[in-house]
Amino acid sequence: MIDPSPLLRCEHLTVRRGRREVIRDVSAEFRAGEIVALLGPNGAGKSTLLDALAGALPAAGGRVERHGRVAIALQSPDLARRSVLSNVVLALAWWGVPRSERATRAREALRAIAAEHLAARPAATLSGGERRRVHLARAIAVRPDVLLLDEPFAGLDAEVRASLLEDALSALRSSARATLVVVHDRAEAWALADRLLIMLDGRLVASGPPRELLERPPSVEVARFLGFDGMLDDGREVVLTRPVHVVLDARGPLAGRVARAIPLEDGVRLELELDQGRLYTVASLPAPQPGEPVRVRLDGGVRFPAPHRAEAVERQFPAGNLGTP
Amino acid sequence: MRLIWDELGKALPLIFHGNPQLLAVIWFTLQVAGVATAAACVIGLPIGLALGLGRFRGRNVCRALANASLALPPVLVGVFLFVLFSPPAPLGFMHLIYTRRVVFIAQTILALPYVVALSAAAVQALPPGLLSQARLLGAGRLQLWALALREARIGVIAAVIAALGTSLSEVAAVTILGGNIYGYNQTLASATLYEVGGGYYADAVAIAIVLIAMILVLMGGLGVLQQQGNGIRMRFRSAA
Repeated sequence: MIDPSPLLRCEHLTVRRGRREVIRDVSAEFRAGEIVALLGPNGAGKSTLLDALAGALPAAGGRVERHGRVAIALQSPDLARRSVLSNVVLALAWWGVPRSERATRAREALRAIAAEHLAARPAATLSGGERRRVHLARAIAVRPDVLLLDEPFAGLDAEVRASLLEDALSALRSSARATLVVVHDRAEAWALADRLLIMLDGRLVASGPPRELLERPPSVEVARFLGFDGMLDDGREVVLTRPVHVVLDARGPLAGRVARAIPLEDGVRLELELDQGRLYTVASLPAPQPGEPVRVRLDGGVRFPAPHRAEAVERQFPAGNLGTP
Repeated sequence: MRLIWDELGKALPLIFHGNPQLLAVIWFTLQVAGVATAAACVIGLPIGLALGLGRFRGRNVCRALANASLALPPVLVGVFLFVLFSPPAPLGFMHLIYTRRVVFIAQTILALPYVVALSAAAVQALPPGLLSQARLLGAGRLQLWALALREARIGVIAAVIAALGTSLSEVAAVTILGGNIYGYNQTLASATLYEVGGGYYADAVAIAIVLIAMILVLMGGLGVLQQQGNGIRMRFRSAA
């Protein structure tokens, strides 16, 4: 059951770095038991928001209320030159945990994140994935009321990231703690979060359960960010689609031609040109070639009324590169 | 070449026959080097840590000054302190000129820049995330300093080696302030200068050999300590 009172709340928070306003009028609250993912492109202000919520950066405007202790795990997993266990024990010492409890708690945290076998290893000999695991264990071990994680899976290859994500999923779940995780990859957000916050250009532009946001993005900019890269504009409304919504169908109502084809592991990503705009889809092999006419139907997508003219939307919220699935 | 062998031949018996005068100089040199290095560390490490880790205004100017002080000629320090401690000067009442104490003071002042500048550079080179993370997990100032010192131990030991080196080998300030008085406040380096000045080359060579041996033993010991601090990395490299 979710505690109704938030452990961390910010209201109309504004944060500056130098003269630049990096965070603008952000309001959010975080409750015990929930894992919230903060998603946004590079430079959106995600790490700055985390720093401000942790108290590492002063607020230029608005306020932050903390009910309990807040721990933050920075993006860079720098460890001290000592054993893995000693690194976690050291973090517990900084946190003020009594000496007698430190070793036990450190081992528990390492076990929770499937890193107990690393306990005796010198930190300098760890791989990137192992360092991230220990970094996460350190943050979990201190048992904060609010845990802020800044891109805990950054810089890992797909296999290591999937494994760490799987272990983090159970380790981060706690009924007593609110967890806010900054992620760069949408897949990480879907895997981890009960709630998603989307940040663009220093503003929180959407908040809600991941599935709900994906089905009903509140605005064109959020939809574009969530991977709605296809767009049709009939003059009255704009239809935004994700590749999964666009199906090649010989009897489909829409006609177009293949503009580009990029081979993928399990098929081909196609860019389709239509009279009303451009769509993207993933087709299985054998797939149509560039220049070939195709017919498609839409199985989903979201619609926004005018005034979002296609060119203006494209200019303001450019779709991802064709090579980005 | 023959002269060198002749003087070396006369010097070796002086060393191995336990000349009490030489033993007294060795003992005083060790005292001066130990006390000056320890005092420079006690004073200099907190300053170095503050310069390396601090976020105060003007820290870059302070770091530049600390680095510049490495090039301070000992003779200038000697002259400056002589003027400061001479009888009519503000600190003349301390009656330090031509004493043993002034040798300790001079060597400490000369060793201090090495400890400050090199330890500041060593902690500055630490991964910034490590210290920020410690700060954000609640580490207090003393805990941060302890972490920084431990993590930067290779650089910090290099600072101690440099400080000890200058304490053992510096001669100009010691001579100006202490007077290089035979049998009283001579270090091995200043005693070598004294013997050369008097034309006692065999004695000078004997003292120089002892000084070099002392430098090799002390620096070697610290070097081993430094490499132990780097042991994990060395093993890792050799395994790779």
